[in-house]
Amino acid sequence: MRILNQEQRRWFKALLAEGIGVSFWAFAGIAGITGGLVYFFQGPDSFYSTGYDSLASALGMMPRVLAALTMAGMIWVLLPREALSRFVGRSTGLVGLVFATIAGVITLGGPSSAFPLLAVLAAAGADRGILIAFITSWATLGLQRTIMWDLPLMGPEFTMVRILASLPLPIIAGLIARRIPIELTLKTDPDKASRLPPDEDDLDHLEERP
Amino acid sequence: MNIALLLLYIIPVVLIVYSIQRADGTLRTGLTRAFEQFIILVPRLLVAMVAAAFIVRLIPEQIISNYLSDNSPWIAILVGTLTGLLIPAAPVVVFSMAASFANAGASTAGLVAFITAWTIFALHRVVIYEVPLLGGSFVRLRLLVAFPLPLLAGALVVIASSLLERLI
Repeated sequence: MRILNQEQRRWFKALLAEGIGVSFWAFAGIAGITGGLVYFFQGPDSFYSTGYDSLASALGMMPRVLAALTMAGMIWVLLPREALSRFVGRSTGLVGLVFATIAGVITLGGPSSAFPLLAVLAAAGADRGILIAFITSWATLGLQRTIMWDLPLMGPEFTMVRILASLPLPIIAGLIARRIPIELTLKTDPDKASRLPPDEDDLDHLEERP
Repeated sequence: MNIALLLLYIIPVVLIVYSIQRADGTLRTGLTRAFEQFIILVPRLLVAMVAAAFIVRLIPEQIISNYLSDNSPWIAILVGTLTGLLIPAAPVVVFSMAASFANAGASTAGLVAFITAWTIFALHRVVIYEVPLLGGSFVRLRLLVAFPLPLLAGALVVIASSLLERLI
C-alpha cells in the first residue's frame, strides 16, 4: 500500500531535512558537550537523571505543541488576511504599539501559543514595530507568567516593581524597531508558506462528487 | 487544569469543526501547515530541552548570587542581564533560581534585570519557535532591539527607588 505518492514523499523528505537541520545539530552538539561536562564533574547519576527528566518533560510538552500549532495553522488559513492587514498597517503609529502591548499582556499560554500568533500577525502584514512590541510585551508583562511565577515565587511587592519597570519596554522596543533598517524576510510569506505539492485538485474533485 | 491550557485545546477543535463545515479545503491546508511546523519543530525541541537542562546544571549559582548582592546596583544589573541572557530554561528553573538569589540578598534591580533578560532573550525559545516560525531576519532585528531593555528595566528600578527614598 502506498500512502504517499512520489511528490508527497519528496515533500516529506524536504520537511525532515529542515527539521533535522543546522540548529538541530547545533543543539545536539551543545547537549553533547554540556552533558559530557555534567558527567565528568557531577558523575553519571546527575547525567542520567538530568537527561531523563529533560527528555520526559520535552515529550510531555508534545500535546500542547501539537494543539498550538494546529490552532496557528487553522487561524492562518481562516483569517481574512487582506481585511486584517488594513487594520494593522504601518499607519497605526503609537496607538498601534499600545494595542500591541495590551494584546501581548492578555495573550495566555507559553511560547507555543504566542509565537504562532506572532507569525499570524506577521502574515497579516503588521509592521515591525507592532510585531516587536507584541512579543516583547508578552515576554515581559504576560499575565500568565506574572500570575503563575512572579507572584508565588517572588512575592507581590517584587512583582509590582518588575511590572512597573517593564511597562515602557514594549513601546520603546517597537519605536526602536521601526528605526532599524534591517530588511525583514518573514517566513510567513503566504505564497510559499506551504510546501505541499499542487495536488489539491484531486481532493476538490473528490469532494464535489455526490 | 488552568483556563489557558483548556483554551489551548478547545480553540483548535472549534476551528477544525468550523472549517469542516466550510468544506472548501481550508481544513486540509491548515492541518498541512500545522503538520509541517510540527515536523520542523519537534527534533530541535527535544535536543534543545536536553541541552538546556545540562547547561542549567553547570551554572555557578553561588558566584552569580554574590554578584547580584553586590553593593553597586549597576554591577548587579549587568550580571543579572548577562545571566538571564544565557539561561535557556523553563520558567520553573529561572524563577526558582531568582527566588534563591533573592533569599541570598540579591538586589531588586539585579533581579528585575535577570528576569527581564531571561523573558526577552530566552535562547531556547528563539531557536525552537522564533527562527522556524518567523525567520532569521526577524530574530536579528528583535535581539538588536531587545539588548538594552533589561539594563533599562534595572536602571528604572534604581532611579525609582532613589526617588522614593528622597521623598520619604
